[in-house]
Amino acid sequence: MNFELTEEQQLIGQSARDFAKEYLEPIAVELDHTGEFPKKVVAALAKHDFLGLLLPGTVGGAEAGFVSYVEVIENLSRYSAAVASIVNNHTIAAYAIQNWGTADQKKEYLPGMAKGDTLGGFAIFEHGPTPGVGPDALVATKHDVGYVLNGKKAFVRNAGEAGVYIVFATMDPAAGAKALTAFIVKADAVGVKVGEKLETMGLKGCPVADITFENVVLAETALLGAVNQGVAISAQALAVASVAEAAQTVGIGQAAVEHAAAYAKQRVQFGKPVAVLQAIQTLLAEVATDCHLARLGLQNAALLIEEGKPFEVEAAMIKSFLVRLGSKMLLDTCQVEGGFGYSETMPLPRLFRDIAGTNLLDAPGDFPEKLIAASIA
Amino acid sequence: MSILSPEQKAIQQAAKDFVAKNIIPNAAEFDKSGEFPMLLLEASKASNIFAMAVPKEYGGLNYDALTQALVLEEWGYGCAGMGTTLAASVLSMDSVLIAGTDEQKRRYFKPMLNAEIGSFGLTEPGAGSDAAAGKTTAVKKGDEYILNGTKCWITNGGFASVYVIFALTDPAAGVKGISAFILERGLPGFTIGTTDHKLGIRASNTVELLLKDVHIPVTNLLGKEGEGMKIAMKTLDMARPAIAALSVGLAQRALDACVKHVQATFTGKTYPGQTLQFKLADMQILVDAARGSLHEAMRLRDAGLPYSKESAICKTFCSDVAMQVTTMAVSLMGSWGYTSELGKYMRDSKIMQIYEGTNQIQRLVISRAVLAPPPAAAAPQKAGN
Repeated sequence: MNFELTEEQQLIGQSARDFAKEYLEPIAVELDHTGEFPKKVVAALAKHDFLGLLLPGTVGGAEAGFVSYVEVIENLSRYSAAVASIVNNHTIAAYAIQNWGTADQKKEYLPGMAKGDTLGGFAIFEHGPTPGVGPDALVATKHDVGYVLNGKKAFVRNAGEAGVYIVFATMDPAAGAKALTAFIVKADAVGVKVGEKLETMGLKGCPVADITFENVVLAETALLGAVNQGVAISAQALAVASVAEAAQTVGIGQAAVEHAAAYAKQRVQFGKPVAVLQAIQTLLAEVATDCHLARLGLQNAALLIEEGKPFEVEAAMIKSFLVRLGSKMLLDTCQVEGGFGYSETMPLPRLFRDIAGTNLLDAPGDFPEKLIAASIA
Repeated sequence: MSILSPEQKAIQQAAKDFVAKNIIPNAAEFDKSGEFPMLLLEASKASNIFAMAVPKEYGGLNYDALTQALVLEEWGYGCAGMGTTLAASVLSMDSVLIAGTDEQKRRYFKPMLNAEIGSFGLTEPGAGSDAAAGKTTAVKKGDEYILNGTKCWITNGGFASVYVIFALTDPAAGVKGISAFILERGLPGFTIGTTDHKLGIRASNTVELLLKDVHIPVTNLLGKEGEGMKIAMKTLDMARPAIAALSVGLAQRALDACVKHVQATFTGKTYPGQTLQFKLADMQILVDAARGSLHEAMRLRDAGLPYSKESAICKTFCSDVAMQVTTMAVSLMGSWGYTSELGKYMRDSKIMQIYEGTNQIQRLVISRAVLAPPPAAAAPQKAGN
């Protein structure tokens, strides 16, 4: 058992921190204000090899392990969780192609994704509770040259900016989710229409929108994995993504608790800094504890992913933990800063709005606890 | 559900109708712009609701405390920012109710009869929870006081007609040197500083008030010199349940939105698993318990019984519930929650735990009450002294 990061993991984490200080800290507030996609930052991420972290060297990736990856995500999130979210959505799309793609698909897409020329997006959710089920489901029909997509995907991150999407559609509306199948769809395919950017309370700058598919004709080579393998692919990819999302939550929480602790030391009330009051110490200590435990939990899940071991239960546990306690990190740190913690001229309100978007359930009615409970022997 | 009189039910229904017509359709727009909703004051003229706490003899609606809470819950349901405008105006009036002379009451309450608002100026940059650390001074000169200082985070400050402002008449005396004053809008030297841009309740106006050699007649002193802190604390006792009422409204709104979304998403089928069902049940339990604690405090106040502890309890519990329920709502509803109006409810809820006495200060008040010797044991000691 070893709780130390390797030297390489520490170095990658540090380089992400340095990058974030140089490129993210100066623009984070502006990004939150305008919500405009940060093209320059994404170019800089690409230049510093942060967009192909998990990909093999053969396609130009950094070949970093998943533990290093979550280190990067946490460090980026300390300064801009929106940018970390762009990276994570892109990375998961690339991860799906790397894991389930054919040699030709990898050759076609991954070099561009590793270099950052092509951004990825992951289109799984629908307005109905279960993808592939119900009137809103995206349907794929077999066609003589391949497939035709019709319908809609909801809440797609990087929508409008991505050059390629991993899209999940059902091959048989009657069978619903069982017939869910993954496709690689280019953003410029005829009939792909990105809807208006949705308003979100935070993570501004990482676009989210619905995408409509109108008679989108795909070649046979667009199929990712096998027909009807969609549920398996999406479940694993979302589980992997959720571990990195947990690192976003922890990065935001850590930034918040450090800010609040510094604030408490200099805010004098009743003749002394509020940091000496037990009530304030308790708030700070609980957040720091939750951050620490969440980090250990997500690093554990990341190591399992890196080693190719089963990780789904551990990923579900960290998700369950953060759905309960993630937002609380900001509720409590804002409380420490009182009226200052509520003023948008201070940093915590942005972190408050951001963290609320990093520990969401995939859909109402979808619970990580199901998997955890089933795993208890 | 609480048992209400037919009159209370009618007022509650009227508030629901007003909110549905005037507040809910405008809430998102003012949340986005951060502008002050003047149209709200205009719409309130017909019902005279800003005079709900004004006694009958001054031409007001004279609602009892429970009825005021019913109205404020509805406003909180519609928009906690706009609800804060009403709550803060009533708060400022409470100081005048507590300590004002007949003439002062007549003067202070008159604007409320015309849907104008009041504002309560206690907080300063260095004096938040430690309200006694204020630095604003009031120096008596002849038949005038001259005020100097800066107040911050003052709700309604930019749009009020009348203000209750706290200042030191005797800086050496500390807490006992604070006095309360009535100020009118537009006095020379009395200006509005920066407007605060907030995480939530963005329709409510929060500003700095700048006082530079502001002359007011001695007749504007509320109570006696040195009674300011006592007046402020009594005012907050009276006013805190208003925050509880807004909080209950917020929590109920978030729950209703979740229920509506779940019903629309899972059309015609059995609802998904017990986990979601039980979370919704938990939210309902919290909302009902919160409302119960609020109504209990209000009934004590209406019966003329002590309610200081209950006031602190309901403020703390209801605001914690609003935060918990709105946070659960965003998380549980997934991406829909994060891109919907639920985000506003979560942002609005956070201030409920902070303003009008942080929940930490409330817990101090409550723990002191809990740890105080029981009255039976205290009584002989008193007699002995």
